[in-house]
Amino acid sequence: MLACGEIRTCLLPTRQALDIRAAAQLLGLRADERVLLSERPNLYARSPETLTGVDCPLPSANGARVRAVGTVAARAALTEGRVLQTSAYFRLPATGPDQRRPWGHYLVRPGVLEPFGKLPHEAVAHGVLDGGRHGDLDVGLIADGLLTRLLRHPLLDHCPPLRSRPTRLRWAALPAHPGEGPSLERFTLAEDELRTVRLRVPEDTDSAEIAVLCDDLALHDWLLTTLVRMLDGIALGSGTPPRSRPGAPERPAVLAALRPAVDHLLHLWMPRARVAAELAPLWEALEERPGFTRQWLALVQRIRDQLALHAIPALYREVEPAP
Amino acid sequence: MTEAAFRETTAEPRTQSVPLSHLSLELGHLYMEDFEAGPHRLREHFTQVRPWVEAARAAAAARTGGRRPRISTCFLIDDYFTRFSSPRELVPLLLAEADRAGLRIDYLARESGCAVTGKVPVAQAVAARIVESPPPGSYGNRPPAAQTGWLANGERSPVARAPQAMKPATAWQPPQETAARRHSVFLDVELWNDDADGHRTWSCPFLAAVWQLARLGLLRHEGEPLFTPDAHTGQDFPDDWDELPSLVRLNARADPFAAYRTCSVLPNRFLPVEHAVRVVLDQTEVDTAALRQVAERSAREGVPVPDSVADRVSYVFYAGP
Repeated sequence: MLACGEIRTCLLPTRQALDIRAAAQLLGLRADERVLLSERPNLYARSPETLTGVDCPLPSANGARVRAVGTVAARAALTEGRVLQTSAYFRLPATGPDQRRPWGHYLVRPGVLEPFGKLPHEAVAHGVLDGGRHGDLDVGLIADGLLTRLLRHPLLDHCPPLRSRPTRLRWAALPAHPGEGPSLERFTLAEDELRTVRLRVPEDTDSAEIAVLCDDLALHDWLLTTLVRMLDGIALGSGTPPRSRPGAPERPAVLAALRPAVDHLLHLWMPRARVAAELAPLWEALEERPGFTRQWLALVQRIRDQLALHAIPALYREVEPAP
Repeated sequence: MTEAAFRETTAEPRTQSVPLSHLSLELGHLYMEDFEAGPHRLREHFTQVRPWVEAARAAAAARTGGRRPRISTCFLIDDYFTRFSSPRELVPLLLAEADRAGLRIDYLARESGCAVTGKVPVAQAVAARIVESPPPGSYGNRPPAAQTGWLANGERSPVARAPQAMKPATAWQPPQETAARRHSVFLDVELWNDDADGHRTWSCPFLAAVWQLARLGLLRHEGEPLFTPDAHTGQDFPDDWDELPSLVRLNARADPFAAYRTCSVLPNRFLPVEHAVRVVLDQTEVDTAALRQVAERSAREGVPVPDSVADRVSYVFYAGP
């Protein structure tokens, strides 16, 4: 068994976060299926799954062009009405028939691609993470397609409160060695906002659950990336603040830059909120090194300190007696 | 793993199950012109159907290994494409003719119910579940659903472009059936069309595919079953087709409407329609939980259903008008 997928994570392009009812409207990809809504431990909505049929070679590192046929599952999720994710994934059994079967056979196995013959696990996992050649299976395209579809929704005003860039996360889950539990082998930050995750999981792990874990990793990586960017190159200190227009009250640039983080991002950090119990320990590897939560807390502390510093003179002015 | 102490019902999928027979046997699927032709057309139909019904019952009994198979019979009346007469006049006539041939209709359905049942736009929901069979070379670049109102069992012939100056016209390319065995039988099915006001009319084969899914117990709306029968109480039928429920149970002791498999006995003019139904069923992704419920229950009873939904459907075509 091999499970793979790709995730797009971005800020929902709206001035205000969507409430849970609007989230259900946005993610209602199907008239006859409910959007799953959850309020504990944070607000979260997840769309029904949609399927895309594929029949093409799998990407592979060694150039073996193994053809696979089946469906790729895709779904979208919205966290706290603020962060939108689309996630496409599939699972490959170790072997498959040598010829294509009637389509109905594949449709009753949603999210499964059957390889022609034997599956070269290692080569395909490499291929998926490195990205295939043109004409090879491209699940990123499917995640992109769903994101594009959602971004056209009339609920969105396309006035985001802060600047951010979408990220892509590709993942591949290889079978764990016999008797061993799940493990996170590598998390790579590549250029162009691309992240890759290589996992090992026991054979019977549900691929939808692996996708949930990777969605969670992608969400938190996006939060870190966005906050790091926001603080990177920001002019700190008490330099003379520019006046936006003559007569307007002074508003330090630092405050204007950091305020959206407080309004829209700082409450979103909640690792493992919906990750299955058996996969939750995989987070520990990232907490150990580089320390995702450690970095997040440091950034948050820095933002709060800046805001506190800027609050002091204002308070001081308030208590000053009028001349 | 221990079960979580905290649960949130809106965060979990839920799908209700439906009671299931072994076989849903369709005794006819008639259009208004068949009724217009008079009672003799109905009589002729049921006389032709009778021996095949016996055969279908015997085949179902053979599959259950001697146990009494649960079999329900049904009949579909078209009130979608044309309206004729009224249930009050027509239904008693239909039942009388079936009775004369020694047949009993357990459930009566209206074709309009396959388009919209109550307030649920069933046909629209099923259309949104179409996942087109990908021709070789599809790597994730195709839109997931039929947008055009047409669904094929393969790749269409490329559109011939007008030849440009200095360039020869491209030669004609044949269409190709994806699952062809050496030679193609290519079929392109019209699922719907829209009139000038944007009003959508579903095609007969598409509604017939919805009808098959209903009989297979695979239709759900937000997890709730669709096509649950209303019992017929009292003697008379209403004057207006719209007042007749989408699915009426005429026999209080009937086995459940939905079944593991279906068999339809139809005149052979339905052959192209039912070929189209297969093309639609073969590319429709049904509710996963409903699918699992049926598979589990049938396996427990020792009569496992075929994987593919289209393979649960069978027909008898008799020579007739």
